[in-house]
Amino acid sequence: MTAATELWAYRNLIYNLTQRELRSRYKKSILGWAWSLINPASTLLIYTLVFGVIFGAKSPVAGNGHTAVFALYLFAGLIIWNYFQGIVSGSISALQSAGPLLNKVYFPAACPAIAHVFTVVLQALIEGSILALIMIGLGNVSFTLILFPVVLVFLGLFALGLGLVVSVYNVYLRDVGYLVSIGMNLLFYSTPIVYQITQVPESKYGIPLRAIINANPLTKFVGLSRDAFYFLQWPSLMTFVGVIIISLVTFVLGWLIFIRKARNVTEEL
Amino acid sequence: MAESGPAIVVDDVSKRFRLYKERAGSVKEMFTKFRNERYDDFWAVKEVSLQVEHGQVYGLVGHNGSGKSSLLKMMAGILKPTMGEIRTDGRISALLELGAGFHPDLTGRENIYLNASILGLQRKEVDGLFDEIVDFSGLSGFIDSPVKHYSSGMFVRLGFSVAVHVNPQILIIDEVIAVGDEEFQRRCFEHLYKLRNNGVTIVMVTHSLQIVRQMCDRAAWLDHGQVMCEGPAVDVVHEYLDKVNLAEAQRLEVEDELRAEMDRAAEIAQRVSTSSADRPIVLREVEVLDENKRPTRLFRTAEPMTVRFHYESRADVPEPIFSFAIESQNGVLVANPALPVSRRPEMLRSGRGFIDYEVPSLAVGPGEYSLSAAIHDKDAMIVLDKRERILTFRVDTDEPIAGIMDLLGEWQDPEIGEGTTA
Repeated sequence: MTAATELWAYRNLIYNLTQRELRSRYKKSILGWAWSLINPASTLLIYTLVFGVIFGAKSPVAGNGHTAVFALYLFAGLIIWNYFQGIVSGSISALQSAGPLLNKVYFPAACPAIAHVFTVVLQALIEGSILALIMIGLGNVSFTLILFPVVLVFLGLFALGLGLVVSVYNVYLRDVGYLVSIGMNLLFYSTPIVYQITQVPESKYGIPLRAIINANPLTKFVGLSRDAFYFLQWPSLMTFVGVIIISLVTFVLGWLIFIRKARNVTEEL
Repeated sequence: MAESGPAIVVDDVSKRFRLYKERAGSVKEMFTKFRNERYDDFWAVKEVSLQVEHGQVYGLVGHNGSGKSSLLKMMAGILKPTMGEIRTDGRISALLELGAGFHPDLTGRENIYLNASILGLQRKEVDGLFDEIVDFSGLSGFIDSPVKHYSSGMFVRLGFSVAVHVNPQILIIDEVIAVGDEEFQRRCFEHLYKLRNNGVTIVMVTHSLQIVRQMCDRAAWLDHGQVMCEGPAVDVVHEYLDKVNLAEAQRLEVEDELRAEMDRAAEIAQRVSTSSADRPIVLREVEVLDENKRPTRLFRTAEPMTVRFHYESRADVPEPIFSFAIESQNGVLVANPALPVSRRPEMLRSGRGFIDYEVPSLAVGPGEYSLSAAIHDKDAMIVLDKRERILTFRVDTDEPIAGIMDLLGEWQDPEIGEGTTA
């Protein structure tokens, strides 16, 4: 794969692009890096109020046998969602904003999106660490925590595969970007993040609702994250292998489509 | 760099752009319009083949829209050929825009690392080059301030400095050197010469034929995407000049006609205010002629030239002084010959006539020159008639000449012994 060796040759560019994004992100703001905590904290607060308090969503009992905090159960899922959405949406804007540069200098068009992934990884690690610290405080912690970085790796590949495809099609047809934001909304509620999968009826109007939601790969990733942080249990081998296969296949397919379509992408940017 | 094959091979390359009638960008259009209705095909580059050898400096000339920049972008890998193939051998650095990829919020230092990595360098390599880059740009005092506080000149200096220090094996330049102050431009050229001497292959697009002649080994002239002429730089420049000059000559003549038209209008206005008695003599026309006394606007350095004044005197004019001035394009007075006392007619009889000034050998360098003409009375006190910039002519050279003049001297064989300075 020459494209892969080429990417390796440009690893320093990816590193520098990541650094550029991180350095310029919170320039000119007083709170600076605190924003990377305030943002998820506010989402968590709103969802807890709406779904936990108003809708009265219940959370299952955690791995230590007594803790049952909806906010934490929610947070374990939200981290996954933020990570996924950050990569897919970010890939679109990464390619778009690299347009002027790609017209002046040659470098692999995937570099900006990959660099963006690293910034999202960092954000997820920060959020994960905070959740882990809280869990340690509550005495709900186990070796299952090492699942989390593994999940980040495979979900990262999965999301990047999707992100590359939508980003390159979005250059040719701007509608793709709009469709993606609608799709994201739909996907968020098709993933058991603010609810539990057990609350979903097996079928309604002849539609096998629960099976559909179970087939959503993100459901699996959210489940793995909750296994790691909340339930402190190891997933079944089947689930684990399934997730790995889906991730790798999505990534490779996405990558191949991107390479094919990115050939003439510069003229369209 | 002693590779055997060529550095760049352009093999029967064509590039098509799609000019969208209406920017494609919605799903609706895909359904409502047939595909072939949405755009026109435009071939920017058509079946171009050429080769650039290692260590060569290669120039691409042609007017705007001739496809040279598209070809350059394809060599740099930014655009992909629609047909044909481009093979390159060696690390390429492209200077299509200086400072492309600078982030305004980051400091000069951070941007050097970023920009160098865009050009494909690893961190360690940049560490080694950092001081040299900063020195060359002359911005060591500002290197830790955000580049958004830089002036545009500083911006470009930093950009150029990074681009030429990444040790390219092939350097691709698109008309970017015409930036910065004179001092910086001089250093840019010095650096390019240095790179050339180090065996770096350079491909450049430029409008300056002077640069092509001075720097390039070979050149190609592109017109409407096709190669009109390819070969040693000097030959290509000649061929180009011959063709372009035809068009150029026509342009100059049209301009002169327009100017004459305006002068005539001004003259009429003047005649209304001053009686013709005050103007006993008028310039009807001024011409420049070649050695066969045929009017022309194009000369080569060291060719003969004749300036011919056509006048009409309504009365006898005692000892009129004819004179003209030649100015270079940037306003330098090159020459201002006036009819000397010894040659003045005692009395210029009324009627029409002409007077010539013969230049045996036009010793000026290449460029455009304008000519102003005047007639004064015998004491050089009263202007009898005067035409500012009545015509423009152009001078080209075979060999490049720096400076406004060609002294037309000849070098002699060296001789043993001491000269008169002893």
